[in-house]
Amino acid sequence: MLRAADVSVAYGDETIFRDLSVEVDAGEVIAVIGPSGVGKTTLLRLLALAAEPDEGSVALDDVDPWARSASERLALRRRVGMVFQEASLFDASVARNVEYGLRVRRSWTDRLGSLFGRGVPDAVREALDVVGLADETRRHADSLSGGEAQRVSFARALAYEPDALLLDEPTSDLDPRNTAVIEEAIGEARDRGIGVAVATHDMHQAERVADRVAVLLDDGITEMGPTEVVFEDPANERTRKFISGELVY
Amino acid sequence: MTIQRREFVAALSAAGIVGTAGCSSAGGGSGGSGGDGGTGGNETSDGGSASEAVGVAGETLTLTTTTSTYDTGLLDAIHTDFEEMYGVEVDAVAQGTGAALETARNGDSDIVMVHARGLEDEFLRNGYGVNRRDLMFNDFVIVGPESDPAGIQGTSSATEALTTIADAGASFVSRGDNSGTHTKELNLWEAAGTDPGGDWYQETGSGMGEALNIATQQGAYTLSDRGTYISQRSEIDLTILVQGPIEDGPETLANPYGVMAVNPGVHEDANYDLAMAYIGWITSPSVQASISEYRVDGEQLFFPRAVSEDPDFQQYVPEGWSGDSDDE
Amino acid sequence: MSLAAIPQLAPALLDLPFREGYVWSIVYVSLYVSVTAVAVSTLVSVPVAVALGFAEFPGKGFVKSVINTGMGFPSVVVGLVVLFAVSNQGPLGSLELIFTREAMIMSQFVLATPPITAISLAAVDGVDDGVRDAARALGGTRIDAALVVLKEARYGIATAVLAGFGRAVSEVGSVLIVGGNITGPDGVSKTRTLTTAIQLEARQGQYETAMILGAVLVALVLTVNAVVVRFGDGGVNA
Repeated sequence: MLRAADVSVAYGDETIFRDLSVEVDAGEVIAVIGPSGVGKTTLLRLLALAAEPDEGSVALDDVDPWARSASERLALRRRVGMVFQEASLFDASVARNVEYGLRVRRSWTDRLGSLFGRGVPDAVREALDVVGLADETRRHADSLSGGEAQRVSFARALAYEPDALLLDEPTSDLDPRNTAVIEEAIGEARDRGIGVAVATHDMHQAERVADRVAVLLDDGITEMGPTEVVFEDPANERTRKFISGELVY
Repeated sequence: MTIQRREFVAALSAAGIVGTAGCSSAGGGSGGSGGDGGTGGNETSDGGSASEAVGVAGETLTLTTTTSTYDTGLLDAIHTDFEEMYGVEVDAVAQGTGAALETARNGDSDIVMVHARGLEDEFLRNGYGVNRRDLMFNDFVIVGPESDPAGIQGTSSATEALTTIADAGASFVSRGDNSGTHTKELNLWEAAGTDPGGDWYQETGSGMGEALNIATQQGAYTLSDRGTYISQRSEIDLTILVQGPIEDGPETLANPYGVMAVNPGVHEDANYDLAMAYIGWITSPSVQASISEYRVDGEQLFFPRAVSEDPDFQQYVPEGWSGDSDDE
Repeated sequence: MSLAAIPQLAPALLDLPFREGYVWSIVYVSLYVSVTAVAVSTLVSVPVAVALGFAEFPGKGFVKSVINTGMGFPSVVVGLVVLFAVSNQGPLGSLELIFTREAMIMSQFVLATPPITAISLAAVDGVDDGVRDAARALGGTRIDAALVVLKEARYGIATAVLAGFGRAVSEVGSVLIVGGNITGPDGVSKTRTLTTAIQLEARQGQYETAMILGAVLVALVLTVNAVVVRFGDGGVNA
């Protein structure tokens, strides 16, 4: 469904990765693991159709957004959601935050009308229900704890029902309880048929949530396969050392 | 209330126009019609029923004048009559004599009323002004602290008084603003043969009222027009030490005011018709009577000069101009 | 305390040495000119600030320093430039704007725009990049992201607008030059603002009445500040 084929990215002289290929299928969770600074965020931004690869191509359902017009690219981009390490909530209520993705997809006249509307759309309630915050719609974003804010941030991407969801270190700042809520929500997203890619440096999390794992080391993917295979029996020597903790970055 | 609302609407439309002009720096054309519309809106609401009359009604006469005529309240007192008679508005802009003439020279006013004959003559000679009339006069007085450190009280000559002040090195406050009063002061120093300067002589660059206050605070002498001195007398600590001609002082302290229209041959968009109507009106016997009846604190400030049985051709032309030179 | 003070203050307020309607008309002109100028300035400044905040280009630092320099531009010089422009002999002379409120609005627009732009730009720059990225990642267009940033920066922008208003309503140099400080013989202001009225009173040595007008000006600025701050607080729930 969402595929990067032979993509390369470099910042100036520094190569981030080269000839990298990965695909996210509907209804699966793929974990991208690797040391920090290896380019996990860059890869997710490519998959989110937010950045163009220097070489290679990215495609959603075999359509390359970078070969299309800006409006077509926007339509493709809107089928993908992304959650960052920082919640970065808007200065508004929980409900208004989660509704944002729905709102920008409406016409300007509808949006003006919704300024006066007080109701909370069902999609917003459902998305908040997934992260256990269905009763907090009226609270202001400022009053949330860090964990709650990240859960709202997740619901914000879930609310408009994207085909693919890209999570960049979604739980690295969270306590175990909030981490568990997010991991449960990742499972819920998969059950809805959403293709999820989660970048994480936490290998235990990858084992818990992912169907497949891609290991990003140095300038490319060294290993990709079913989670238990990658963790139990990696084919690549460097992957094995990374997973066992012998390879320290 | 209605008027305010109408003005507000005019305000909004004008705001939009200025916005347009501001955005596109070259918004000349569109801003032009809009600017007219904005002004029209104001005039309609302010002019009221008078704007229904024909002719000059609804027009605005821009008068640049001196601070002394304006600040004494004379113009406000008499202008209502003119505005009602013609259904027009008079925008009186109070500047110093120099600035008032400069504004007129740039074509930004229709008529000037000032009190510095030398500058007026230059204005006429350069072709900017036409149809000058003597309007009214009052006089200048030399004021100072009651203690009179230089001892000028009783001096019958203004120049002698100034020389005495200079010799004594007593503080003297000058307007220093190229106003009619300042021009007069400089002429007096010149006539006295003294070049003012030194610690005792201060140019303030301020209005008459401020200059009087500064003189009070510093115990200094200054040259003031009688009108401004009278209207401020109660708040300052200065007395008249040398009287002007109104109180039998020297004729050199006379302060004549003149009025003249901006030459439509130089500035064709000057409102010449209305300017001439104004000159006719203000030099008419009834308005001249109003000027002489105007009182501040019970005292007459201005003495009419326009109505006379005897001919006075000098008022129409620059001083020293003679008919002979025209015969060449 | 405040109740006891009212009867003492009331006579002082009623004995104002002005004709009926005079003070209200100059307050009206002050507000009309400054509010219009600031509104137009805001419409220009805020989009410019957002565009500058989003854009990365060589020379951006130079543009910023030009704007910051504009904040300190002397109002009298602005008055002279606008006078030159609208004077009969100037490029806009045919519009006959000299000694009108529109000319005053022009000069105040020139004065208010640099501070509003500079402070808005600082406010926009201060918004967390993550918020902008989130707006884009959630399917927002550039305009959507700009609107989000605007909303996040609204206190800073309100401060910018207030600073612009403060500069406009309290400056005397340019409005005196281009407006002419005109009041009709009926005592209704045409181009007289609180500041030029104060200047007029001071010129005549009437420092007490100048002080009264000064107090009115301060009260006006405080009121506008209070209204804007309150408006800003209301925006949180919207």
